[in-house]
Amino acid sequence: MMKIFRWWGGLVVAFLLIGISRLFLPLPFLNEIIIFSIYTMGCSFLLGRVGFISFGQPAYLAVGAYGTAFYLFYFGANPYVGILMGVLSGVVVSVIVGAFFVRLRSDYFALVNLALAVIIFYLMEKVLAKITHGDNGLWFLANMSSTPVLDLGKPSHFFIFALLLALALWAFYKYLDDSIYGACCMATKINEDKLQFLGYSNFHIRWMAFVIANTTTALAGSLYAVYLGFVSPAITHPARAADPVVVTILGGVGTLYGPIVGSIAYTGMKDLLSGYIANWELFIGLLLIFIMLAGEKGIWGTLEPILKKTLFPKSASFRQQESGDRRG
Amino acid sequence: MDAQLLVSGIIFGLSIGSIFFLLAIGLSLCFGLMRIISLDQLLYYSVGAYITYTVHVVTGNTWLGVLAGMVAAGLVSFGVERFVFFRIYERDIAFTMITSFGILFAGIGAIKYIWGLVPRPVPVPIDTQFGIQGTGIPVYRLIVIGLSLLVYLGIWLFLNRTITGKAIRAGIEDVEHVEGLGVNVYKLFTVTFIIAGVLSGLAGGLHASLIMVDPQMGLEVLAFVFMVVIIGGLGSIKGTLASAFIVGQVVSLGSLVYAPLAQMAPFAVMLVILLIKPTGLYGSKLLKR
Repeated sequence: MMKIFRWWGGLVVAFLLIGISRLFLPLPFLNEIIIFSIYTMGCSFLLGRVGFISFGQPAYLAVGAYGTAFYLFYFGANPYVGILMGVLSGVVVSVIVGAFFVRLRSDYFALVNLALAVIIFYLMEKVLAKITHGDNGLWFLANMSSTPVLDLGKPSHFFIFALLLALALWAFYKYLDDSIYGACCMATKINEDKLQFLGYSNFHIRWMAFVIANTTTALAGSLYAVYLGFVSPAITHPARAADPVVVTILGGVGTLYGPIVGSIAYTGMKDLLSGYIANWELFIGLLLIFIMLAGEKGIWGTLEPILKKTLFPKSASFRQQESGDRRG
Repeated sequence: MDAQLLVSGIIFGLSIGSIFFLLAIGLSLCFGLMRIISLDQLLYYSVGAYITYTVHVVTGNTWLGVLAGMVAAGLVSFGVERFVFFRIYERDIAFTMITSFGILFAGIGAIKYIWGLVPRPVPVPIDTQFGIQGTGIPVYRLIVIGLSLLVYLGIWLFLNRTITGKAIRAGIEDVEHVEGLGVNVYKLFTVTFIIAGVLSGLAGGLHASLIMVDPQMGLEVLAFVFMVVIIGGLGSIKGTLASAFIVGQVVSLGSLVYAPLAQMAPFAVMLVILLIKPTGLYGSKLLKR
């Protein structure tokens, strides 16, 4: 009983905090944060657990978003089914693409993903313009039927749905970290030869990690689609390709709560700074350099040990995530 | 497709390819010698272009601007090398990639701060054309192509005829042995980084007259330049030249066939080449440090 309580404790507190901040923070900001942290989670898992850096996450975001958009625009009206379609298309695409991509080394992997994002961008903007309506995008907010318990058309209901979904997702990733598979992922990153020696297939572990991470990204894409009620090729614009990587680093690579903290910091900074000055990139960039030079732990990676020490001075359990990420 | 379009398409492709080559050669050298992926070359490219614009506004001479752009890009790259890269040469590739992206991002912010968001035009210094079978060929584009070939020749002579160049080439093969021979490799790193920065500045200065100079220009060519480096094979100069012209032609001729192809086709080419030959056209087997 105590064990279950402790396992869920951190997660529930984290999401409760976001839920409570609903009282004094604007709703669009919170929705953006939740979706963005789901988006970043995939990248964080790839970078922190398997050691793959991907500059092409928008590609999978677009796959999810367009999977949902096509369903809601042409076929049906139920947003839940739409999200399911988005996730399914994410699974299909990442299974096919992953089989080719995960054979490449980390730096090449980053670039072929970028290439994929660019290809999908032009595919959606120009080549398939008849179906996707090009730059105008697909508008389907009015198409969505209202659903009984949580009506996803309403931002306040959407918030509750996204929060619960994110909680489930984080529990899933926490479970992955504890499982043998999570250990295998860490092992392919640190020493692939030894893992192979133990009888595991590096290729399959990476492939599965790729599918898990990019399905998460596709889920974020379909949430964006349902939340905004429209999808345009701008979602996969190559200029935004590095966002998830930046946020991952900002939050702390490989930590469980890093993506949330990073998203809050990034979205908040973007909203606050861009109100006053046009060049918020300068600050994000300098912060990124600073974090990398100061030991690449990120905001959460630095805060976590301090928090644990002050909150539970006697508990010895904070070694667990400490060992999460060490590179180079 | 008629001959006129084809001729001007090929010239356009060659000049774009030259710009890509000038940018990619720096990236390629940096990767070969230091094992870093230096996305911030795109920053020196923007700096070169903006200095060209500023000097042109002040003096009215674009060539002087290009020269000043090269010097400024060299100075900025020297500063960045001293303060950032000098500390992180030992780290792995993903690390340098993210750090250099941070530099690029911060640099774009600084450029927006100094020059503002509005795109700036730079006039072409020589706007004469001469005709081949009725097709007007801008002399400036031919000069760009000629300059890039000269740079190739210069780099080749530098790497093969001077002792520093030979040390750099040896370093691309095996840094530790070079260090063992008593060469100060960190000095080599600095020299290489500055050469890369100056060439990126040159690319920016030359490209400034062909496009509008705007803060995002680095991000716009980022993907193409990377593609050139990857297709050519990281660390190979000859491969970079070949793939730069291939990519330039694919961009230019692709757009003549079907407009959206201009942006998509090179990426498709890269995907195919990487899946068949993961080290690129001329890439040797990749050494891990």
